[in-house]
Amino acid sequence: MLRTTRLWTTRMPTVSKLFLRNSSGNALNKNKLPFLYSSQGPQAVRYTSQHEWIAVHQDKTAFVGITKYATDALGDATYVELPEVGTEIAQGESLGSIESVKSASEIYQPADGTVEEINTNLEENPGVVNEDPMGDGWLVKMKLGEGVNVEQVEGLMSLEQYEKTLVHDD
Amino acid sequence: MSMMLSNWALSPRYVGQRNLIHCTTLFHTLTRWAKDADDKYHDINSMYENMFTPSNDNVSILQDEGKSDYDTTKTSSMQEDISAFNKDLYNFYNIGYAKQIMSASQLENIVKAKGRFVIQSLSTSPYYNLALENYVFKNTPRAKRGPDNCRLLFYINDRCAVIGKNQNLWQEVDLAKLKSKNFELLRRFSGGGTVLHDLGNVNYSYLTSREKFETKFFNKMIIKWLNSLNPELRLDLNERGDIIQDGFKISGSAYKIAGGKAYHHATMLLNADLEQFSGLLEPSLPNNMEWESSGVHSVKSKIKNVGIITPNQFIAVVSERFQKTFKVDGEIPIYYCDEFKSINDEIKDAMNTLQSEQWKYFSGPKFSVKIKDKGLTIKVEKGMIYDCDRNDLIGLEFKGFLENIDSYT
Repeated sequence: MLRTTRLWTTRMPTVSKLFLRNSSGNALNKNKLPFLYSSQGPQAVRYTSQHEWIAVHQDKTAFVGITKYATDALGDATYVELPEVGTEIAQGESLGSIESVKSASEIYQPADGTVEEINTNLEENPGVVNEDPMGDGWLVKMKLGEGVNVEQVEGLMSLEQYEKTLVHDD
Repeated sequence: MSMMLSNWALSPRYVGQRNLIHCTTLFHTLTRWAKDADDKYHDINSMYENMFTPSNDNVSILQDEGKSDYDTTKTSSMQEDISAFNKDLYNFYNIGYAKQIMSASQLENIVKAKGRFVIQSLSTSPYYNLALENYVFKNTPRAKRGPDNCRLLFYINDRCAVIGKNQNLWQEVDLAKLKSKNFELLRRFSGGGTVLHDLGNVNYSYLTSREKFETKFFNKMIIKWLNSLNPELRLDLNERGDIIQDGFKISGSAYKIAGGKAYHHATMLLNADLEQFSGLLEPSLPNNMEWESSGVHSVKSKIKNVGIITPNQFIAVVSERFQKTFKVDGEIPIYYCDEFKSINDEIKDAMNTLQSEQWKYFSGPKFSVKIKDKGLTIKVEKGMIYDCDRNDLIGLEFKGFLENIDSYT
């Protein structure tokens, strides 16, 4: 009988936070679907204060995930709870949650949109969220709501702005 | 004199308080009836009794005030009146100050304002207590600057098994056994594994900001505080962040992060009826079922009671140390809640969710189970069978199927 919490030993080696920031671990992985979805790449990548990222392509398709900074803080993911396909979710509403050895952490919708696809790979392999949070560890693919322009959505930040908030976190 | 006393009692200054006496007495009668709390709060009650019970001095003050129409022939009835009055006064002080239960609006005000405080729930309803915790957590303002709004809650639940948000309940508990021993089943809003509660277990919940949150922080404080109180307790932290005593687990923790805030809540086994716990945290038909699921599996641990300290002492000590350690400016107040007075629509909604079949039985992770003696493999998502070797089972509720498993073969 299975009785042990599954662990994926994929935790980052201890790296100083300063190095992490400078190395921009929170930038989108250019070799994975959230970036490669359209040939020209995403038009915009934005970040929330709750450590979600959103990558928006020209056809208004967007990918959402959580940042490297967040997954490092959460520790090894043991379960990823995602919304049902077809659900319309408003900005700030819960998009799901990630349970790690340390906590169940809520994920919030960065901008209004409808869920088109969820990353089903995470059902069996939640550790991918830790391994590649800015690429293969994407959570939800969605269609942005009519007239939503992430560059004008209040509360969304550029990578640079986001990483500045991390300095203030300490 | 009796006239004077009743006038005095009906004067505008006291009339409100007398109503309060009756209200709170009524609430207390109800709660006591419901949970047999008399003994439970005896320590704290007697502490305030010593502090506030009017002494003979109070009686003499009353007699002085009553001198103008003092009548020796009525002494005995007057003394009866005085003692009745003193009893009221005592009840007022005892309940009014020591355990003034917050109204819905008082609760809302303190939760939504910034600041640190302690809440002790006097309810033993697990649904109310988890909903209250959820309400305080959701409505605590994020502190962007300055000290964060640390909050500490205590609650004691009647018998129940509480599973983590992302657990497969069928794999964690035996519903039939729970029912036969009068344990409620709840799915909580936080992650982690399954725990059992009864009146000998105190739950504490420490709320802080996401930035300040660190899983082991509060348990380290508790260990320090309790060991300094009594070194014989020998409490320690294990690598998972749970509190242990002599290698046995006495406390289990779960954590939630949302909305820029986080909480760590945990159980503390003080004098729980552990005999009643045995066999409850096993799936039904363990030898016949083979489970496979994503989601979170409980880690089985040997448990014991702390002994030495009672639930009331634990709450009193941890509250007092919290008040000292976390004080920033001004005292950290202690508030009391119960499900009759300190309730609002948001708390009721969360209670409804926690009580709903939908949340208990039709959420949680996907799983599959192999029933060996029937040669069946059943796949379940959100409580419904979606795949099986036998077509006629597809679309059935797994709960109903398991309850009547023999009729399906």
